[in-house]
Amino acid sequence: MESNNSSKRFKRIFSKRGMGQVITVSIGLIMLIIVFGFLNPNFFSYRNISNLLRQIAPIILIGVGQSYVLITGNIDLSIGSVVGMSCMISATLMTKGMNPWLAVCISYISSIFIGILNGKLISKAKLPAFIATLGTMTIARGIAQIVNNNYNTDSIGAKAEGFRNFFYYGKTLGLYNTIWIALVMWLVFNFILSRTRTGRHIYAVGSNINAANLSGVNISSTITKAYLVSAVCSATVGLIITATSGMGTMDAGNGYELYAVASSVIGGVSTLGGQGILLGTIVGASIWGVLQNGLQFAGAPVAIRNIVIGIIVIISVLLDIVVRANKNVTKSKSKGKS
Amino acid sequence: MKKFITLILVLSLVFTVVGCSAPKDTSSDNGQNAEDVDTGNNGDDNGADKKDKYKVYLITMDQMDQHWVTVDQGAKKAADELGNVDYQWLAPDVKDDAKQIESINNAIAGGADAILLAANGPDAVTATLKEADSEGIKIVYVDSPADFPAVQTLATDNEAAGKTAGEEMLNALKEKGITSGKIGVVSVNASTDSTVKREKGFRSAFEGTDFTILETQYAEGDAARSKDAAANFITEGVVGIFGGNEGSTVGIGNAIKEVGGEVIGVGFDKSDTILQLIDEGYLLATMAQNPDVMGYEGMKTAVNALEGKTVDKDVVDTGVSVLKKD
Repeated sequence: MESNNSSKRFKRIFSKRGMGQVITVSIGLIMLIIVFGFLNPNFFSYRNISNLLRQIAPIILIGVGQSYVLITGNIDLSIGSVVGMSCMISATLMTKGMNPWLAVCISYISSIFIGILNGKLISKAKLPAFIATLGTMTIARGIAQIVNNNYNTDSIGAKAEGFRNFFYYGKTLGLYNTIWIALVMWLVFNFILSRTRTGRHIYAVGSNINAANLSGVNISSTITKAYLVSAVCSATVGLIITATSGMGTMDAGNGYELYAVASSVIGGVSTLGGQGILLGTIVGASIWGVLQNGLQFAGAPVAIRNIVIGIIVIISVLLDIVVRANKNVTKSKSKGKS
Repeated sequence: MKKFITLILVLSLVFTVVGCSAPKDTSSDNGQNAEDVDTGNNGDDNGADKKDKYKVYLITMDQMDQHWVTVDQGAKKAADELGNVDYQWLAPDVKDDAKQIESINNAIAGGADAILLAANGPDAVTATLKEADSEGIKIVYVDSPADFPAVQTLATDNEAAGKTAGEEMLNALKEKGITSGKIGVVSVNASTDSTVKREKGFRSAFEGTDFTILETQYAEGDAARSKDAAANFITEGVVGIFGGNEGSTVGIGNAIKEVGGEVIGVGFDKSDTILQLIDEGYLLATMAQNPDVMGYEGMKTAVNALEGKTVDKDVVDTGVSVLKKD
């Protein structure tokens, strides 16, 4: 009886949280991969696959952060700026001779501060998420610019070689560390979202904030947790960029918040909240990355790439709307039966 | 009540950040962020100015690039030598047409006698320049001109410099015994005049050879994205990669470094990171412009024009230095 019940619940969660869209989009991804594989014999080479995965990893990370926030029914526009801030803070401290790992800690702490600020502004001060994170977006970009007095930093130097290998250039078990970092963080955050009370609260807040409040969910702490996840993911991407370039660029992460929305939405996370799973975010980020990589090999101008990506974003949201409309019909039917 | 306190706390925090940042910005001589601060200052200066000093503004595309800092240093050096110049650097925080127009307007409002301008693009700022011109302000272009008549343009001939870069790569490939193959190009975007010309010059160096130059990848000068594009080129089996500006060059250098340097990389601009990549042998060469010459000579031209002396050349090529491992 109980197992029957839980399997039912399992099924319901799967259908409710957009597994359908994930499957559809995955089929699209596989088709893209096949097409690009035909167009370019190098596509399936070990080097390209590992490069490609490493290019996707940061998009997965910011996508996970944005997905958390979107599921609570909010949005985080500060992602790109937090990426830039974390990049500049870490690089500046390293060029000043600080131990790279200490610099990493400080980058995380300052990003976490932005995350908490976002969460509290929205949940306690009741600012609309769009406005609050627009503000923190500008603040974080400003901090990125001011930490090194409005200059990009010099090279972070040979002392930071270990840091650069850890976040970008090194390999573990044949895969770049960046991929492992994204994978581990995804596993942890996916576990939290799908298996813990915090995760259920995040869905509850996004589905119906009043109902969640009435059933005793701590709205403020739930929303803040989502923004915290987003900030931690963004900070990690900032560190990856520092490691990649070996220097800090104030412009790092420009526009990433929108990449993050795109990969979440392509993967079936609803911008209205309460819906979507992180598996979808991986697929969404992969579509984004595969298009970037594959269209370069196909020799397509960047403009074409932008147009294609835009169209895919729109189609996937349309798909979501259509699927949901159908589901509501079937739902009310099945309700009628029972 | 709680909400109210949070709000107050946050507001005070915002003001602290703003408050901390503004004076720091003005004290460092690399231009200002906040326009109100600018115009406020300028108004004061204007009042105190007794017109025995020429007020000259340098307006660059942004404040970030080392390039602009060097232009500023050149201009400042000339201003110090001349002694009769009240010089100030104004620049938007990021490259943006609207923000550059604001900077020009601020300079006009600040009582400029001459403006040294590195125009973002040929057309966007022309209307504002017309206004400046009607106020009798002398305009001198440094680095990149707009489509509006000025006293003089002091710039790198980007096409010639791009061609030099192409020739450097071609020679290095010949030395390695490579006479054909694919070559990748990573640049900023399709709308920045200077980098577009560099690209054109670079391509022209390969005319009549058996090399194929692939579709340019634009990464907005972002070193991390440039690195991704360059890594894809390397996977595609290119024999050489060209980087169109500082960020692009850092990106291609890092990508070549990662595969151990089997590809020849030639870039543009000079920075600590680029020079290090050249020293380590991962980049063959970088085309360093001479921004100090632009600033220095630009300032002298501006003052000459203000003093009514004739300026004989319309365009001055400030040239590039090819920096290699020595």
